[in-house]
Amino acid sequence: MNEPVKSRLFAMDGTSAGPPALVGGRCACGYVFFPMQTYGCEKCGRHGDALTMAYLSGRGTLQAFSQVHLHARPHPQVPFTVLSIALDDGPLIRALLEPPVDPDLRGGAPMVATIVRQRHEGRDIATLRFKRANDGVG
Amino acid sequence: MGTHLSALRPVYVVGVGWHRYQPASDTPYPVLGLKAIRDALSDAHLAWDAVESSYVATARLGMAAGRAMLRHLGALGRPLVHIENASASGSAAFRHACIEVAAGISDVVLAVGVDKPSGGPRAAGQAGLGSLVGGAVVPFTHFALLTNEYVQKHGVSPQDIALVAVKNHRNGALNENAQRRQQRTLDDVLASRPVSGALTSLQCTPTGEGAAAVIIASAEGIRRHGLDSGRAIRVAASAANSEWADAGANHDQAITQAAMTAALDEAQITPGQLDVIELHDAFTIEELHYAEGAGICPPGHFIPLLKEGAFDIGGRCAVSASGGLIAMGHPIGPTGIGQIGEIARQLRGEAGARQHKDARLGLAHMVGVGAVCYVHVLAK
Repeated sequence: MNEPVKSRLFAMDGTSAGPPALVGGRCACGYVFFPMQTYGCEKCGRHGDALTMAYLSGRGTLQAFSQVHLHARPHPQVPFTVLSIALDDGPLIRALLEPPVDPDLRGGAPMVATIVRQRHEGRDIATLRFKRANDGVG
Repeated sequence: MGTHLSALRPVYVVGVGWHRYQPASDTPYPVLGLKAIRDALSDAHLAWDAVESSYVATARLGMAAGRAMLRHLGALGRPLVHIENASASGSAAFRHACIEVAAGISDVVLAVGVDKPSGGPRAAGQAGLGSLVGGAVVPFTHFALLTNEYVQKHGVSPQDIALVAVKNHRNGALNENAQRRQQRTLDDVLASRPVSGALTSLQCTPTGEGAAAVIIASAEGIRRHGLDSGRAIRVAASAANSEWADAGANHDQAITQAAMTAALDEAQITPGQLDVIELHDAFTIEELHYAEGAGICPPGHFIPLLKEGAFDIGGRCAVSASGGLIAMGHPIGPTGIGQIGEIARQLRGEAGARQHKDARLGLAHMVGVGAVCYVHVLAK
């Protein structure tokens, strides 16, 4: 098996909350954001070295979800579920659910990041999704 | 510190016209746009050579669509500019046309929106930043997520939210310029194709093409061209803004609330005084968010009032009497201009079967992905 293609969006080694971590950033003004970028801070406009990489915990709370029935592209295959998650470290993000459909999903559920490996166009791709954390396992 | 549009010369809508919004066809875009412009000129009783400057709203046609269309009205060498601001392109073109007249640079100006569907990419996707969802979150899923959040927060059922579509399809059925002209029952709406979350296809705006045009004029323009001042509708306020950091997932409601407050303050009116409102209701949930954001009713109260008929034509305040984006359609460039045309017709008392009784104050609202927001208040 090939080494999975690395993503700039997440890191396998994680934070103290457990792997994987989301690769976000922190501005000198204190604003925390995802994904990492050095273009400039959305809050205060500082840029370059004022923005430093920050590993964000892959834990958060489910704010909303939607099971998608209609999609113009072949991937992801329908049905799949899109999530709005308030990360414990601050940013509100959008992510895909693992497994793609979960009938027991409820708003307010604790969620945790998980790596999903897929074979795509001859390469092994690691993608970051979120699953319910109510089994207590990170 | 700047000033308000209403602090400058008064601006009036004097002519309105459309090419019907419709599914994509082989009709070239100049045919759509010219129909709307000629109808607006005719409505105003103006000749093309009276128009001193043109604002062309389009988001999907590509570079420089305007002259290839306007030259067929007689190429007179007058200035023209294109405005793209996503779904709010037409609203932006209208605002800047108003600013030109209010500033005293021109007395008669055209704002026209024309578009046809195309697969052009959004610039945000080329910003060089990654995403965990890629192209998996399209607008209907963004609003399905907000529907899910609203249902959790206010304890209303998705079926009740679908009643917005029933009202708007009913209004659209009475509008000769609407893309969807068929009344639908709640069962029809709920049984239509599942799209995302609680949203079904009849709760989502259709893709399509079309055109809308308005002619605006100063008091001097009205006098000089001998126009009917009794049919002129004053632009009482124009507000615009964009998203700020920390606005949250429901940023469209946040920027709407701020723009509505600014526009109502400028017009010196309260939300309860509005008779007719056109909202960016591309998806059913949006009507709830924006009406509540505008202060038309408190948060969570839209559905009970909707059920009482408060937002029907003839109710407390007609919301999306045109059929809104859900039924009238949303060809993008034309949409915000078409809203202004609808409000002008309502305030003139010329809205036919869709006429809201004694309409004196109207408001048009659009958001555009990015996000940006525009609110205009029109007064009889």
